[in-house]
Amino acid sequence: MNTDFPKAPLPLPRAEDVTDELAALDGPSIIPAGLRRTVFPVITKEDVFKMLLSTRIDPAKVVADFTEAYREYVGAAHAIPTASGTSSLHLALVGAGVRPGDEVVVPAFTFIATAQAVVAAGAVPVFADIEPDTYCLDPAAAERAVTDRTRAIMPVHVHGLPADLTALRAVADRHGLALVEDASHAHSARFDGRVAGSIGDAAGQSLMADKNFPVGGEGGIAFFASADAHARAVEYVERHGIDYGMSWIVASFGASQLERLPYYDEIRARNAARLAEVLGETGLFSAPHVPEGRTHAYNMYRIGLHPDAVGLGDLPVHAVKEVVHELLVAEGVPAREWQNTPIPCHIPFRRREGFGGGYPFSLNPAAARDYAPEDFPVTLDMLGSTLVLCRELRSPVEYERLERYGHAFAKVARRPDAIRKLVGGREFPLPHEKAARLG
Amino acid sequence: MDHFDTAVVLSRVLTSGVIMSIERNDRELPALERLLRKVGGRPHVTLVNSVTAGLHSALAGRRLGHGDDVVVPALDDAHRRFLAWLGVRAREDGTPAFAYLSAGPADVGRLGPLLATTAGAPAVVLNLTGLGFGPAAAVLFDDEDAWRRAERLKIFGTFDLRTMWTQTEADDGVGGVQFNYRLSPLVAACVRMALTTQGARA
Repeated sequence: MNTDFPKAPLPLPRAEDVTDELAALDGPSIIPAGLRRTVFPVITKEDVFKMLLSTRIDPAKVVADFTEAYREYVGAAHAIPTASGTSSLHLALVGAGVRPGDEVVVPAFTFIATAQAVVAAGAVPVFADIEPDTYCLDPAAAERAVTDRTRAIMPVHVHGLPADLTALRAVADRHGLALVEDASHAHSARFDGRVAGSIGDAAGQSLMADKNFPVGGEGGIAFFASADAHARAVEYVERHGIDYGMSWIVASFGASQLERLPYYDEIRARNAARLAEVLGETGLFSAPHVPEGRTHAYNMYRIGLHPDAVGLGDLPVHAVKEVVHELLVAEGVPAREWQNTPIPCHIPFRRREGFGGGYPFSLNPAAARDYAPEDFPVTLDMLGSTLVLCRELRSPVEYERLERYGHAFAKVARRPDAIRKLVGGREFPLPHEKAARLG
Repeated sequence: MDHFDTAVVLSRVLTSGVIMSIERNDRELPALERLLRKVGGRPHVTLVNSVTAGLHSALAGRRLGHGDDVVVPALDDAHRRFLAWLGVRAREDGTPAFAYLSAGPADVGRLGPLLATTAGAPAVVLNLTGLGFGPAAAVLFDDEDAWRRAERLKIFGTFDLRTMWTQTEADDGVGGVQFNYRLSPLVAACVRMALTTQGARA
C-alpha cells in the first residue's frame, strides 16, 4: 500500500548549511532528494468513524448539519452547500441580484473560477487591477471600472488575505452595487474581527482539496447576508433545474475537519510568522504584507523579491526571480509561480465563447473587451517579482522542514554573485509571455 | 454495501493525499473511468459531479450550446429546464444527440447490458446519483475529440490537472465557460466499490 508516512526523518538543520555551495552549483541541497515529499494532513480515526456513522444517517441531514455548523462558524446569516467553489460563487452572484447582461467587477489576478462564475451567472466579468502590497482588488481601480450596467463588485481574498472591504463597500454603496466576496482562499481569515464570507451581501467559498478547510475532495458553500438573497439563489436553482448538490460523503468529512480547523489555522499562522522572521533578515526576500485589522489565512504564501537590496537592482527583476526559483527548487523548496498571466488574457476571456455563440458576452458588447496584459501593470509587476509557497506551511509540516525552508531562502540570498552569473547571457521572457498557466 | 469494504475504501482514499491535494495520488477517478470504459464498451469516459453536469458535458462534447436546437432523449422536467438554462432548444423528434440512462442499486449487476442498449448513440449520460453516494454521473464517448471538449468544460478536468491548461495546449477550439464539475474522489471510490461489489466487474 502507498503511504504518506515519511521514509526517513529530515536531519535537524545546521547553521553551516546556509554557507554551503548552492545545490544548483553542485553543493548539497538544503532538503535532500528523497526527503522532499509533502506530508499531508493527518487523517484521524474521527474522520473515518464519522464517515462510517454517516452511512447510517439520512444523507440530507448529514449535509444540512455540516452546512449549519460551518455557517455558524463563519457567522453568515444563510448558507447553501454546493458541489464546488465555482458553483458557490455562481449562487452568491445570483443571490446578490446579478442578472444576465450585468457587469461584475473582478480582479485581474485570481483563479479563473472567479471570472467563470460571473459568466455562469450570465453576466460579463470586467477586470480591474490589484493593489501592489496586498495583491487584492484595488478599490480605486474597481471604481474606475464601474459603469451604469455594473451590478456587483466581487473582490477575492487572494491567498487568504481579506481584500480592503471597507473601501470596497464604500465604492459599492456609492454606486448602488452588491458586494460579493470570493472567499475561496480565506477560511477563518478575518477583517476587523469578522470572518471572511460573512461580510459581503453574499459570498462563495471553495472547500476543495488544497484548501485550508477541505471537505471530501470537492465542495463549496455560498453565504448570504439576507433571507431575500438566500431565497433568490434557492429559487434560481430550482427554476433552472441545476444540480449543485453537495454529496453527504463530502459533507461528512468536512464535519470532522471543521472541528480541527482552528488548530490548522494556528499552525499556519505560527509557521508563517516564523518564515517571515527568516525572510526579513535576507534582504532579497519579503514576507506577505498584512494590513492592520486583517488576519491572513495563508492558503498560499507569496514572497516578494527585492534584487536592489542585494546589489542586483540593475538586473531585470523577473530574470532574478526565475533564477532564484531555479535555485530554490534545487535546494528542495517547492516554490511556484502560481499563475503567470492576468486572468482576462486566458483563452476563455479572449475567445469569449461562453455558453456558445458568445452568450452572455453578446448581451453586453461594450463590456466584452479585448484586454492586454499591460492593462494590469500592478498584476504584471507582482507576477514578475514574487514566488509562492502553497501547502508548505500547513499542518503537519515538520519544524525541521520549516526551518530548512528558511535556510534555503537565506542560502540563496547570500549568493547575489551566483544569481548575477546565472542571469547573464540568458534570455528571460516575461512571465505573461510564456504559456498561460492556471496554477 | 458491506460496511467493512466501505471503511477500507474510504480510509484508503482519505489517506492517499488526494483529499488535500488534487494533483497527487488520485487513483479513484481514473479507476472508475477504467471500470466504466470496460463495462460500457466505449473508449472515453468523463466523470462529473451531477447529472446536469453530465448533460452539459455531453452537449459540449458534441459542440452544442447556447442557441442550438438539439434532439434529446426523454428527460424529466428538471433536466429540460436545465437545458433551457443552457440556452439549448430541446426536442424529441429525431435521433438524440446523446443517450440517457439512470442507474440505481438494482441496476449495477446489469450495467453492461443496460449500456449496450445505447449502442450507436454518440454519447451516453449515465446518472449514478441513484447509487446513493450523492450527485454523480459519467459521460461515455466513442469520439476522443468529444471527450476532450467535455474535459475542457471542467475546471480541474484532465487537462487542467495535467498542465494547468497552458494556452499552447488548448488549441482544440475550446474557449468558453467552465464549471468545476470534478467528481469527488471519495464519491468515485464509493461508486466504484458499489459497482464492483454488485458484480459489474467486467
